[in-house]
Parts: sequence; C-alpha cells; structure tokens
Amino acid sequence: MSEKSEVDLTGAKKNTGVWLVKVPKYLAQQWSKASGKGEVGKLKIGKKPGKTDVSFTLNEDLTCLSALGEKTELVQAPQEHSMLMLSVGGQTLAVFTETTADEISLEGMVVQRAECRPAVNESYVKLKKLQMEVSTKPKRLTEQIARPVTNNFKPVSNHVANVEYEKKKRTEGRMVRADRQQVMDMLFSAFEKHQYYNIKHLVEVTKQPVTYLKEILREIGLYNAKGTHKSTWELKPEYRHYHGEEAN
Amino acid sequence: MTSLGGSSSSSTEYTVRVPKNNSKKYSIMAFNSGDKVNCSTWTQARMERDMSNRRMYGGEETEEGAAGSEFGKKQREEARRKKFGIVTREFKVEDQPWILKINGKAGKRFKGQKKGGVTENASYYIFTQCPDGAFEAFPVNGWYNFVPQAKHRTLTAEEAEEEWGRRNKVVNHFSIMLQRRLREQERGPDDEDEEGEKGGKKKKKKKGARGGDLRIHDLEDDLELSSDESDSSREEGDNKPKKKESVAKGKGKKKKKKRGSDSEANEDSDDGDYEGLEVDYMSDESSSEEEAGEEKAKSNKEDGPKGIDEASDTEDESEEEKQNEEEGKEEEEEEEGKKTPVQMEKKKKRDSSGESDTSEDSDIDGEAASALFMVKKRTPPKRGGGRGSGGSSRTGSRPGTPSIDSASTSNTLRAAASKLEQGKRQVLGGSSDSPAAKRLKMEPGSTATTTQSPAPSGKSTPQPPSGKSTPSSSDVQLTEEAVRRYLIRKPMTTKDLLKKFQTKRTGLSSEQTVNVLAQILKRLNPERKNVNDKMHFYLTE
Repeated sequence: MSEKSEVDLTGAKKNTGVWLVKVPKYLAQQWSKASGKGEVGKLKIGKKPGKTDVSFTLNEDLTCLSALGEKTELVQAPQEHSMLMLSVGGQTLAVFTETTADEISLEGMVVQRAECRPAVNESYVKLKKLQMEVSTKPKRLTEQIARPVTNNFKPVSNHVANVEYEKKKRTEGRMVRADRQQVMDMLFSAFEKHQYYNIKHLVEVTKQPVTYLKEILREIGLYNAKGTHKSTWELKPEYRHYHGEEAN
Repeated sequence: MTSLGGSSSSSTEYTVRVPKNNSKKYSIMAFNSGDKVNCSTWTQARMERDMSNRRMYGGEETEEGAAGSEFGKKQREEARRKKFGIVTREFKVEDQPWILKINGKAGKRFKGQKKGGVTENASYYIFTQCPDGAFEAFPVNGWYNFVPQAKHRTLTAEEAEEEWGRRNKVVNHFSIMLQRRLREQERGPDDEDEEGEKGGKKKKKKKGARGGDLRIHDLEDDLELSSDESDSSREEGDNKPKKKESVAKGKGKKKKKKRGSDSEANEDSDDGDYEGLEVDYMSDESSSEEEAGEEKAKSNKEDGPKGIDEASDTEDESEEEKQNEEEGKEEEEEEEGKKTPVQMEKKKKRDSSGESDTSEDSDIDGEAASALFMVKKRTPPKRGGGRGSGGSSRTGSRPGTPSIDSASTSNTLRAAASKLEQGKRQVLGGSSDSPAAKRLKMEPGSTATTTQSPAPSGKSTPQPPSGKSTPSSSDVQLTEEAVRRYLIRKPMTTKDLLKKFQTKRTGLSSEQTVNVLAQILKRLNPERKNVNDKMHFYLTE
C-alpha cells in the first residue's frame, strides 16, 4: 500500500502548455530507435494567414524500417507527415509524471492536440501493405502430426508404471515404527508449519505405519470429520499455541 | 531553430527530440470539461493508487490458515480453479485506478480509471517546448479518466429500485435520502421507532438538520417530539389522503396498505409493530369500522373452538390492535371536540408514555393517529354525534366495536371506554351494558382462555377466519396458572414470557412483572432446556 504522494504542482502553477500528439505505430517504433541526443526529425510550423500548417519531417536515418516480418526489403517509412490540429474541447487534459520512486508531479496542461498523418506516397502504401500481410496471418496453424494417435494398446505383462512402483516398494521397504517420543516430536514440528494435516500427508512426513501414527495422533490430536478442513488431523487445543489463535 | 523567411507564409522549424533515458513515466489525466477543473487553482493535491481491488491472497495464510497440507494446498487450489475454468486476473498495480484528492480532506475527490486500448494501435506523445526552442517528445504511458467522486449520499441499487417503484406515490423527494440516512443510523443503535417519525418530520420542517442530530433517548422522544410528530404526520396525512384512500379501498390487506402509505415516514421496523394495526380508519366509512367490529366480534366468538394455542398468539396482536384503536378512538372523539390534533397527540403521547415503556407502542399510536387524522378530515359527518370524550383517558374500548348506529355508538363507546378503563386498572367482572361491553366482559376475567361469556347483547357477530382472531381480552393476569399454561404448551424463554404479560395488559409495571414472574417461576420450577443457546423453560403435564 503506497502512501499518498504529494503531487508536485509546479507545472500546473506555471500553466505550462504541452501538445498531445497521436503518432502512428511505425513512427513511434522508429522514434524509439533514435540515437544520440534523440533527434528524430523536424517540426515545421507555418503560420499562413488563414490557418496554421504544421508538418513533421522524419530524419533520413530513421526511415529504414527493420524487421517487419520476413519481408523487410526496401520498405521505407515515409518522411513527410502532416500534423492535423485538433481542439482540446470536451476534455481538460493534464499531464502528470511518475518516477520510479513513486513521485508524482503535474507537468502541465494540454493546449493542443494533434494527429500525425503520413503523406500518402508509394513508400507508405507499401508499408501498409506489408503491415496488413503480417496482421492477416492466422495466429494458429494447423500442422500435420508425425505419429497419429491410437487407442490400440498392445497387451503388456506388466505396465511400466506398475513395475516402477513395485521396484520402489521393494527398495524402500516397509515403514518401521520409530520411537514414540521421536514421532511425537516430528508431529509437533510438522504441526508448527501447518495446522491441519491429512493422515496420508502425515504418513509421508513421518514415514510411520498408519496404525501406529493414528495411535499417537489420537493421543495428542483431534480429528476433524466435518467443517472446512474435511478429514484432517490437528493438535489438541492444549498442545497448540499458534500466534493467530492467541491473538484471537 | 531555423526560420525560413521570404515566403508569404512564415514558417518556423523546430527540432523534435525524443529523449532516451526517461526515468519519468508520462500519463494523461483527463477531466470532463463539464467539471470545470482548473489545475492552476489547486493548492495541494495528493494522489495514490486505489488498491481496493486487491484480493489479499497471502493475507489469510497465518499459522491458523496455513492449514492445508503442506503437500500442495496451493497447487490443489490452482488445479481446482483451472478445472472449473476460473481465471483470476493478476492484480497489476499499474492498471489500478488513481485516487486524487485536491486541497485536503475537504476538497474535491477524483477517481481516475485507466482507459484501455490507448497504446494499442497508435502512440501518444507529449510535445513540450524546451527553452532552446526544440520540442521534446515523451511517449504517454497511460491515460486516466478522472471523474469527481460524489461526497453526498447516494442510494444503492436496491434502494434506487425501491424508490423507483414508489415514484408515483412519493411526493416529497427530499425525505428519501433522509430516510436512508436515518435508516443507517438506526441500524447501529437498533432504534427503529424514531426513524420514520423523525424523518418525515424533520424534512417537512425543512430544518435541513440531519436526523442524527436530534436523536434523543427513547422515552424523551415520545414526549418531546410528539408535537413535531403530529404536525408532520398530519401534513403527511394531508399529502396523501387520496392515495391512501384509494389504495386502502382497493386492497383488502389493510394492514399492508397502512404500512405502505406510511412508509414514507416510517422505515423498516419489526413486523410486530404493524401486526395489530387496524387500518379501518383509512377507509371512509363506518362500514369498514363495522366490518372490523364484526371481525372482532367474530373472533371473540370463535374462541371456544380455537385452542389455547391461538389464543395466546392472537392475544398479542389483538392487544396491539386494541391499543391502536383505543388511541384512534380517543383521538376521533377529541377531534370532534375540536381539539387540535397537536394537543390530542400530545395527550395521547403522554398517556402512552406513561403507560408503557416501549416506544414501540407510541410508534403505533403515531401511525394510528396519522391515519386517523386523514380519516377525520374526510369523514366528520359520518362520525356525528359529539363524541368529545373530554377526558384524556385512555379508552380501553375498541372504537371499532360493532355499532351500526353512530349515535348509539357514542354512548356505548363512552360507556365501554370508562368501563374498560376501570377494568384495566383492576380485575373486575365486566358489566354488560352495551354490546361493546361484551368485550369488556372478556377482558377482566380472561387469561387468554377461551371461555368467553356469550355476547350479552345477543348479537352474534361473525368472526374473521384469520388466525388473528382474538379472545379479546386486554387484560391478562400474570398468574401462575397462566404461566403454567404457557410453559406446558411450549418451551419459552423468560423474554417470551415477559412478552406475554405485557405491562399494558396486566396493569403492572415492568419491574413488578419481572418480580412476579420470577416468583411464579420459582414456584413452578419448570424444566430447562437449551435451544439455540437460549435457556427455555417448559413443563410437562
């Protein structure tokens, strides 16, 4: 739960105005590849008497698109783009930033919205074509499997799994009854980790024969036949001292 | 920055830079322009993620909860979930909404929900102009739509639906929220009675005060707020007399009607509150009264065949009904005498508070009163015959007693009233002067047994087949015999027993009742049984 961060309102106070520009994906990709200082292009703002004409020119070195699937070839990102200016109308947009240290600051208000539209020329069309081809490729493929599925099973004298199991049993041997006190200690330590145990799991933990284990459990524990913890064993109340319980 | 001169249109060129290492993540905070948000006016702002959607997985796994076997409780759970196809979405902090608080606690609050799909097909960049004239572009990480959060109370979906259903009937919309507020408060202290009354009244007076401000102790309420109550209830009555009538007429379920119409003023209360409410006052005519009276008579009559079982049950209800009617009757009479409703209410209130400790009773009184007022206004002619009882005596009579003739009614009722008054105070044999007295007769002698003396007037009035037929008495003696009967019938807790011997009916104070009951129990020495963690007494014959 992060504490509330005080928002740094300097940007808002200064009323810094920013532009919100919508940029096509490929252009954004290219921009992310920018080197050095990060110069990506030039913005030209022409103030004609009637209207404002804004255009963006992508830098030469960034026009080469790479890795668009297999067909990279000579697809080039268009250089010329026009910026369509939009109004900020029905929304009040503010920009805030978050640092890795969870510091939030208000950078400013959006005063102008714009859309970056590429000039439609051949290179752009080619680019688009490529994109479409990539996107229309189905995500799932059908392929032929080498070995078909069969439900015919050949008779086997003894199944693999069975054989392994028997071998395991033979090697491990039966479980030997350990000293009563030892077993109890094992149980106590197990119950320290979890409150409820199934008998099978206890057997696994203690490696004791079931009947012997049950005997001991009957002495120190309770069996929950009903309730949330179905058929589990737990320590008797006098033996347990859980933190949570004590708190209650 | 190069400027190209020489052309008719001057255009300036700026370099655009996309800085590489950005420790800062840019996001958009979008407000609706209708909210008129001006960031420059903010003096202070705090923003944090709204973590309310986080399900605390690990939270429950304490020593207690780490209950599953160590052998893969988690895996088992996951497998289960997969089997059922439950897909739990991971809780991503970056996708959580923001909570923005402006200017501290008292200021505005906004909730900013992340808008999806912003960065899917196109990227947004923020262009800021640097001092050197070049533009710097930062990619936008997320878009959050901030909406102001209402500080005022709103209705929940269920409540809204309810109110929607009542929109044709509800005239005063201001009280809706007040009701709800009071309801909430009431839930805490568990004090339902005051709700409706207060609610209606406060809002009517346009005090604008919160109901909670004027919450007072039970008893005081009855006294102090009586005037308010009467005013409001009267007004309310005015508001919806028509509605009440029409509805009342329409339905046979008078009780329900009463509740519905008064629900404006009254809130959820125990069912028991309304049990005995006789709504005949709501409808126009004495005919309904008559009906009611007949019903009563009927019930009396059928006492014989009915077992003791019903008797005890119906006793309570009948008693309440009676009370209400009493009150109603008294008021009617007084109104006729041109007393102001206020005074009447007050009187009634005082009486009631004097007599009973439960505000419950007075609550019912209030409702009966309001119903009455309505009826009053519309049916003065029918009532006829100056019935100003003049006394603030609590009539013990059922105003709805079977009397067809209004004139005679008054006499008999008055007589009955006084008689019952006496009968209530002491244990008397009833007099048999009037038809109404038939009831009287049963009262003194009865202990919820059904050995009623036949109606002296010889009128055989039909009894309602409802299980609420009463053996009639308003006078129950707290005797060992009575207690024994109860305990034989079924196991009861002391609370139940006390309920059976209500102070109003036995004429004893609550303390006395308790003492006497304790003695009786000692004498009887019933067997005990624990049912639902409560100690029940019972006797086997």
